[in-house]
Amino acid sequence: MSQAIEQPRFTCALGSCQSVVAIKKGVPILHSGPGCGGQISRIIGQGEGYAGGSTAPCTNAEEQDVVFGGEKKLRSVIENSFKVIDGDLYVVLTGCTAAITGDDVAAVTTEFQDEDKPIVYVEEGGFKSNNYASHERLVNAIIDQYVDKFYESDEKIPGLVNVFASIPYQDPYWNGNLEGIKKLLTDIGLKVNILFGGESGGVEEWKTIPNAEFNIVIGPWVGVKIAKHLKVKYKQPFVQFPYLPIGAIETSRFLRTVASAAELDTEKVEEYIRKEEEKYYEHIEKMASFMLEFRYGIPRRVYSIADSSYALGFSKFLLNELGIIPGTQYIVDDIPEKYQDLVREQFENISELDKKRDIEVVFDPDAGNNQLKLEEDAKKYEDKRILILGSAWDKNLASKLNADLLIISPPVQYRLIMNCAYVGYQGGLRAIEDIYDIVLSTYR
Amino acid sequence: MRQIAIYGKGGIGKSTTTQNLTAGLAELGKNVMVVGCDPKADSTRLLLNGLAQKTVLDTLREEGEVDDLDLIMKTGFGGTRCVESGGPEPGVGCAGRGIITSIGMLEDLGAYTDDLDYVFYDVLGDVVCGGFAMPIREGKAKEIYIVASGEMMALYAANNICKGIQKYAKKGGVRLGGIICNSRNVDREHDLLNAFAKELGSQLIYFVPRDNEVQRAEINRKTVIDHNPDHPQAQEYRNLAEAIEHNEMFVIPKPMTQERLEEILIEFGLMENLKDDYNI
Repeated sequence: MSQAIEQPRFTCALGSCQSVVAIKKGVPILHSGPGCGGQISRIIGQGEGYAGGSTAPCTNAEEQDVVFGGEKKLRSVIENSFKVIDGDLYVVLTGCTAAITGDDVAAVTTEFQDEDKPIVYVEEGGFKSNNYASHERLVNAIIDQYVDKFYESDEKIPGLVNVFASIPYQDPYWNGNLEGIKKLLTDIGLKVNILFGGESGGVEEWKTIPNAEFNIVIGPWVGVKIAKHLKVKYKQPFVQFPYLPIGAIETSRFLRTVASAAELDTEKVEEYIRKEEEKYYEHIEKMASFMLEFRYGIPRRVYSIADSSYALGFSKFLLNELGIIPGTQYIVDDIPEKYQDLVREQFENISELDKKRDIEVVFDPDAGNNQLKLEEDAKKYEDKRILILGSAWDKNLASKLNADLLIISPPVQYRLIMNCAYVGYQGGLRAIEDIYDIVLSTYR
Repeated sequence: MRQIAIYGKGGIGKSTTTQNLTAGLAELGKNVMVVGCDPKADSTRLLLNGLAQKTVLDTLREEGEVDDLDLIMKTGFGGTRCVESGGPEPGVGCAGRGIITSIGMLEDLGAYTDDLDYVFYDVLGDVVCGGFAMPIREGKAKEIYIVASGEMMALYAANNICKGIQKYAKKGGVRLGGIICNSRNVDREHDLLNAFAKELGSQLIYFVPRDNEVQRAEINRKTVIDHNPDHPQAQEYRNLAEAIEHNEMFVIPKPMTQERLEEILIEFGLMENLKDDYNI
């Protein structure tokens, strides 16, 4: 039997509407009950973007639409969305009610597709999955129903790659992170389809997806289905880096992994890495005296209540570059069982010092449950300062434990995020700044 | 007020039986309301001498809301009050939700007046979802009659419906009042239905014989009692009405397994298995 979970830090399948909002001039059209969109953007979202949150067109399906079917209403909402919102790509997403009633959303949307309107549908039904899985279905639907229309030749553009990394808004720092990843890859000589956010080229960029030489998936599981789909559809191989690379060690490793897959000029890539690392460590060197003197002031252990990609990325960075030891890692992204071993293995081999680490990893989307366990465990280290990588919902727990809290998981609430990023060399420095900032701000 | 739901396999004659039965009750001086719970909206045609002008859901669709009971309730034979729930076009929307909506609306509009002796719900053959079980949920019909015949699929459907009744009986207090046989003239139909009803822990409350007069009355948009009151078939329906009026056997049915159902069919449904020779 299914059970209730407390504080899920993700949303229902309809949450992929936020991914549409993250596409330049992307317009989600919700065929759902009133309030679904608002609910989602309160958990994963800050700001409404171009046409998200409460500005997203919605059929606000009510009883009549259930009894008689909501297709007529959907048709009129789509028609009017084209009239009043200047969008580049419209995506119809179905909520629970319409999915149970069985509205033929495909038929309605196809009418507009036949008129060459840039519109795509994803028959979701909130109950169908979480938003991680639906994000993958959304991207695949856009590729199949829209991108593929413009696909003319098999010809690949040398150096062009598609990147499937952060899920917009589920990763609160998605925009900055994607910008950061694009910059890193561009700097080593690739052309990058980053697809979402400010640094992307909007739908024009999406149209070149089939022409990429290969695909890059960053993270242990989300995006793999997209990459596999593209492998079959456009015969593109993919390379996976199983976590967000944060700080110098991991970013250099990431770049080398990609460079080898892309068969880039090793010397040039190494030169870039050398320069970036030099800059990076120069900053740390300047602060070395302060950091050394303050070494007893910073947290000794770090607990995560976070998505797998973040928990791994941060733990690797914090252990190997700041010497903060990972405590129990509570992975809350509902990661399918078949990918859990990969995450466990990564944690086992987390240390740069060739020694297997025994880090407890708990896969449980019930963050409320995890908070209780974390509290219990933290009591064993009462004399040591701890850092929690969590969400705004962990604020009370952190203050109860006198712990430092860095919000890296939704909902964020207590932080305004524009293009802050933790990925890459720059992101590593930013993480150090933020952690010290949190710690130092507790002094008076 | 006795609220009664009539279930049974599609095409078995639920609407025909319900209307002829209610005509019989009306003759007895009872105040009856018939609520058609089938999107086809043909549950009151014989009482109204034609299809109802507007269903509840048609009115809801066109007006946005229904605030006048007279718009949706028509008076038919013998003062029977007739309502059709109606539903969406075939293939769209959710007819089950439609039934929930329209019954809720009838309650809001005060259709259930104290002077009513009977409310009949004539429900679509297959209880495919929760909506079609609405009439037997808490606070609605407490009595159910299943219309069946000696045909295999009719009995199979009846047994299935009993599973639904069993579920709702536990919390809602709904009970099976009996099986009404609408005869198809299959071998040993009476014996078979008797045995089937007994196995369920219930009774064969009445055996309505097959007669072409029903067809003639239907073509004339009338119940048999209305069309040809002196015909013997009219008396059959009066007898059925009496049987319902005086029924005191209400049980939680014990649905049987498919194997048991087939055993009963083999035992009672075949002439060659007859142990005694009734041939003269």
